[in-house]
Amino acid sequence: MASTVIDPASVLKPARDIRWRRIDGEAVVIRQRAGEVLVMNEVAARILDLADGRTPVSAWIEILAQEYDADREALERDVLAFTAELAAEGMLEVDPIEAGKTTDGL
Amino acid sequence: MSAAGAFGALSELDETALFGAGFLVNPDLFPARRSGETWGTREVALGLPGGPYRFTGLNSAQEEAVRHRFGAYCDAPAAPSEGVESTLFRASEADFRTFDVRGWEYGLDLDAAPDSLRLAGLRLVGRLDWRPRLLGALWTPDAGGQPFAGIFENFLRVLTAYRLQELGGAVLHCAGVATLDGDRARLFLGRSGAGKSTLSRLAQERGATVLSDDLNALMPGAAGPKVEKLPFTGDYGDTRTPAPPLPLAGLYRLEKSADDELRLLSRAEAVACLLACSPYVNADPHRRDGLLVNFMHLRPPAWSLRFSLGGAFWPILDRWQAPSSIPPAS
Amino acid sequence: MGFEQVLQKTWRENILFSVLVELTYRCNLDCFFCYNDLGLRGEPLRTEQYLDFFAELRDLQVLHLTLSGGEPLAHPDFLRLGAWARELGFVVRVKSNGHALRGEMARRIRDEVDPYLVEVSLHGANAATHDRQTRVPGSFDRLLANLREALDLGLRIKINSTMTAWNEDEIEAMLALTDDLGVPLQFDPEVTLRDDGDREPLSISPSRAGVARLFAVQAERARAAGVTGAPFAIGKGGDDGTMPAPAAKHCGAGSSGVAVDPYGNVYPCVQWRRPVGNLHRQSIREIWADSGALREIRDLTVEAKGVVDAYGPAGALMSFCPGSAAAHGNGDPLRVYPEALRRMELLGEVFGGEEERSAKRRAILPVVP
Repeated sequence: MASTVIDPASVLKPARDIRWRRIDGEAVVIRQRAGEVLVMNEVAARILDLADGRTPVSAWIEILAQEYDADREALERDVLAFTAELAAEGMLEVDPIEAGKTTDGL
Repeated sequence: MSAAGAFGALSELDETALFGAGFLVNPDLFPARRSGETWGTREVALGLPGGPYRFTGLNSAQEEAVRHRFGAYCDAPAAPSEGVESTLFRASEADFRTFDVRGWEYGLDLDAAPDSLRLAGLRLVGRLDWRPRLLGALWTPDAGGQPFAGIFENFLRVLTAYRLQELGGAVLHCAGVATLDGDRARLFLGRSGAGKSTLSRLAQERGATVLSDDLNALMPGAAGPKVEKLPFTGDYGDTRTPAPPLPLAGLYRLEKSADDELRLLSRAEAVACLLACSPYVNADPHRRDGLLVNFMHLRPPAWSLRFSLGGAFWPILDRWQAPSSIPPAS
Repeated sequence: MGFEQVLQKTWRENILFSVLVELTYRCNLDCFFCYNDLGLRGEPLRTEQYLDFFAELRDLQVLHLTLSGGEPLAHPDFLRLGAWARELGFVVRVKSNGHALRGEMARRIRDEVDPYLVEVSLHGANAATHDRQTRVPGSFDRLLANLREALDLGLRIKINSTMTAWNEDEIEAMLALTDDLGVPLQFDPEVTLRDDGDREPLSISPSRAGVARLFAVQAERARAAGVTGAPFAIGKGGDDGTMPAPAAKHCGAGSSGVAVDPYGNVYPCVQWRRPVGNLHRQSIREIWADSGALREIRDLTVEAKGVVDAYGPAGALMSFCPGSAAAHGNGDPLRVYPEALRRMELLGEVFGGEEERSAKRRAILPVVP
């Protein structure tokens, strides 16, 4: 699968093929075309929450930094890497329209 | 599914092969069974010939519309073991195509099968099923009022025609007029424009009671064929008050003319005339033969009547008293 | 935590995960053995109520939403409701007879509903048998044409078939037909009563020999495909297609799933027609949390597990359904009914040793690409 470059300005949303729900903090994810089900951890579930097609990755990092009381630089590295992985797996997709808009205040 | 979308869809399919395509957005979804969600829990039983015709699943506005339209016909006792049961189901506005009805002559599409009949019309989808007894179902988006009453009547006309055919009789396009003494009734047959309403007017001016200028029933009786009043009229007749059946005085095939003349019809001519004037069932290849058998058994005395607007034909009719059976063909 | 553990968790902790909605009892076919209670009456749910209901299910984190009927496509707002379900992120299944699944409708389902699966029903290997069941001439030919079109459009299809006395001699031919289409075919060897208790459908129940042959054919196909141990997908799956997970309860009825009829009545599952609430009077959240009837159902599924376990490892082969038991046995959901015993016996003969019987795999039915 082609690699996807994710940076803090990227805006992502769940791929059209993906359906998911939270069960006790974890995410149950269905990939419809493959007929596959995955169970993902809390962080992945949180990222799927945040990937709303409007909010850039930079905002996620701010939110997660507060929720997890984690080192911001390390968190940014991990979030970008994990998000890129999800995108490479076809679970997230970049929203080109939103990515081109300005993000005042963020 | 929008009507606009449906037009696009229909163009991709063989429209002539799809029953109901003229009225329905998606004829693929035509109900194949008597099922769905009813409008309510109200019931009404109509005491028409062949009944009672019991309808369940109405809401209160629909019940009121039927009672207002059919008056004393709705006072029939409900007898579930007899008559015909029908259920009213909800349809949606979105089920039906919209089109300009100005200048459009109302009609129903009918599709007959060996044990069923499908109906499609303006805001109406219906079924008659013989399982083995006759059962009806009607789907409409109309929740009450005059529009609903019209839809209900359109369905009831077809239901009555089929019910009476299976009871040995027929619904006929004809004017039914009682004799002046009220003891018997004459039926004047003809398609649209033959003169039924004109003759009804002349009869009424003469003081005779017009049963209906549109549809009447001819049924077998112990002493010969009898005429049964139906609540389906055009401009003349009473739609709300039932009446007891009357022995048939005569059956007349109408023809407007400058002169008045009466000619006895042969049996074949009589049967042909009756068949031509039997709406709905005469186009049903699975039950038309049953209609023919009924007419052969009924053997109503039948004439061709050429009549003028002067009304001089009445004495001619009065002179020819109907025997209880047709004389041998001349 | 794997998916099986997730399923166990939903059963154990009463997490609503799957909902089947009967949108309407209208249908464009007239199958002889249809289980719908056509005499049921009530106030139908309005489209606005469905929209709110689906949103509430999303808030409850329900994942699977199955649209059924009657024929769900016959609901006048099917596409709107399906699109809303898609927007809310459900794994949507559509249970359709396939008769109207063509042209514009099929394209809009693909584009606007984007279902995980469209499940259609096949009743025989030829028109005579299939149309005999549907009582609509031409329905078999129409179904095959529609399936080809739907597959070309990219819709994911699964075919279900209930085995009957009418089609039990056509199993191999039906499998050959669906193999040719490249679509999975799942048989249910049991004809069920109508939801009003009418036993007429049982008059076409398959014979013991027919069911035995079905199991033998399926076992052989599984072996030929390299599946070891007891084949999967022979047992009775849930409304969402998942296979039972080992748990303290026999099934997820009322614990992780419910079914809803067109009048808002809520049931533990599509088979168990004991109402536990009504959406006209309470929200699904309230019913799920407060229904005394649901609490009873959950307790009964624990007892049902005991009933099945009493048969030892062979008990799992019964595919016992408390809902069917209640229908067969005058309301007793714990009474083992003859069809369940027969299935246990016949599957036992097919699978032989106890070790094989106990090695039952559980999986979501794979979708053929």
